[in-house]
Amino acid sequence: MSLVAEAFVSQIAGKVPFIHVGNQVVSELGPIVQFVKAKGHSLSDGLDEVQKAEMKAYMELVNNMLLTAELYLQWCDEATVGEITHARYGSPYPWPLNHILAYQKQWEVRRKMKAIGWGKKTLDQVLEDVDQCCQALSQRLGTQPYFFNKQPTELDALVFGHLYTILTTQLTSDELSEKVKNYSNLLAFCRRIEQHYFEDRGKGSSSIRLS
Amino acid sequence: MAAPLELSCWGGGWGLPSVHSESLVVMAYAKFSGAPLKVNVIDNTWRGSRGDVPILTTKDNIVSQPAKILNFLRKQKYNADYELSARQGADTLAYIALLEEKLLPAVLHTFWVENDNYFTVTKPWFASRIPFPLSLILPGRMSKGALNRILLTRGEPPLYHLREVEAQIYRDAKECLNLLSHRLGTSQFFFGDMPSTLDAYVFGFLAPLYKVRFPKVQLQEHLKQLSNLCRFCDDILNSYFRHSLGGISPAGQETVDANLQKLTQLVNKESNLIEKMDDNLRQSPQLPPRKLPTLKLTPAEEESNSLQRLSP
Repeated sequence: MSLVAEAFVSQIAGKVPFIHVGNQVVSELGPIVQFVKAKGHSLSDGLDEVQKAEMKAYMELVNNMLLTAELYLQWCDEATVGEITHARYGSPYPWPLNHILAYQKQWEVRRKMKAIGWGKKTLDQVLEDVDQCCQALSQRLGTQPYFFNKQPTELDALVFGHLYTILTTQLTSDELSEKVKNYSNLLAFCRRIEQHYFEDRGKGSSSIRLS
Repeated sequence: MAAPLELSCWGGGWGLPSVHSESLVVMAYAKFSGAPLKVNVIDNTWRGSRGDVPILTTKDNIVSQPAKILNFLRKQKYNADYELSARQGADTLAYIALLEEKLLPAVLHTFWVENDNYFTVTKPWFASRIPFPLSLILPGRMSKGALNRILLTRGEPPLYHLREVEAQIYRDAKECLNLLSHRLGTSQFFFGDMPSTLDAYVFGFLAPLYKVRFPKVQLQEHLKQLSNLCRFCDDILNSYFRHSLGGISPAGQETVDANLQKLTQLVNKESNLIEKMDDNLRQSPQLPPRKLPTLKLTPAEEESNSLQRLSP
């Protein structure tokens, strides 16, 4: 599917990621998890109520800190915006749409940052928040293979997704990925999931080097 | 030890030391960690900016925002989390994130966006503590800020409709309350016997929801069903804030109300009884008043009269 068509479909669906099942399109992690659960597959069935509460809390922590920090870095840090984000966001569209949509998105994200109190934060403060979040995740993970016992749950998927993106996306500076690399158990966690679940399928897929 | 610490924050009501969540978080943390805070309640003579409240003032510093204030207090050696393990510290961060993402939107909505609540309770309360003419402007601005925050974090761009979002945020809030209740279980505080930062945050968010009397109360009703969370709030209020509450304590107010209710019921019962008695008297046979015996009754009539008198 060409890049333009994909972008078009994702606009209709609302948000990436989305899954196509028959006639239905389900987008975003939360609804996808619910949908799959309704079909009888759930990763967190083995957890008791207190553990489920903990899992949800940690998922919110990741959303609150990591996701917001990623958005901040992409859209509120001038260097990154100029060099990378604008070009990448506008690439599926012809001129002048690419510029207009990119500016609109930037305006939206900045509004949101201001509403939740991140508008006045400096880059250093954001990086410190990321560090705090990674520290919390690292302490929670400890020496276990996954966050809850030996089986992965939705939390593992969410954390892997974010950390992996941070570690492998090239930005203007390496500060963000350096923060994550400080925590060796998180690095090992990402590598383990990548090897176990992604490298098995076809050696053709790009093997990402987590250095 | 340290320079005197002064906290400027919104005042209390309905049995709470403050009705503003963030102010309450800081006050609770100060009590838990033993920080000697001098609390200045904002009224309409206060000249500072109200946007950043609560504000901690020391000799050299001015700190705003609860997270920063708590950090500052910890650096001054007032640390309520001293006994926690690293893992519990991590859990604290996670649960605070849960509160801010899942519970806060619905609390903001209940206080500031729901029209009945805002116009009958929230706006008059805040307006009475802000000098004219700011009292006409500031509550409206706070309300818009709350709406903005809800829509931008939960709504869909570019139109941001509130209605789509309302049902979802209340569902999330109820789920969050359930999760907190499960996590608390039967313990007194979230991490053992000593209160910590997490207890301060949970108390700060829950207590206003629990105690303030609103017309539209769906979230409050849900909270009241989770008895361990209510017990948690009441315990903290009674143990840490009892002596600083002037006037009737919440328990006192409730007993007064209960007594009033009982009295009303008694009076109603009495009046019912009196009515019944009155009816009975009217229906029962009227005895002729004792007159000078002008009428001589025959012995048979006399007997029947006395019999009638005796019958109930």
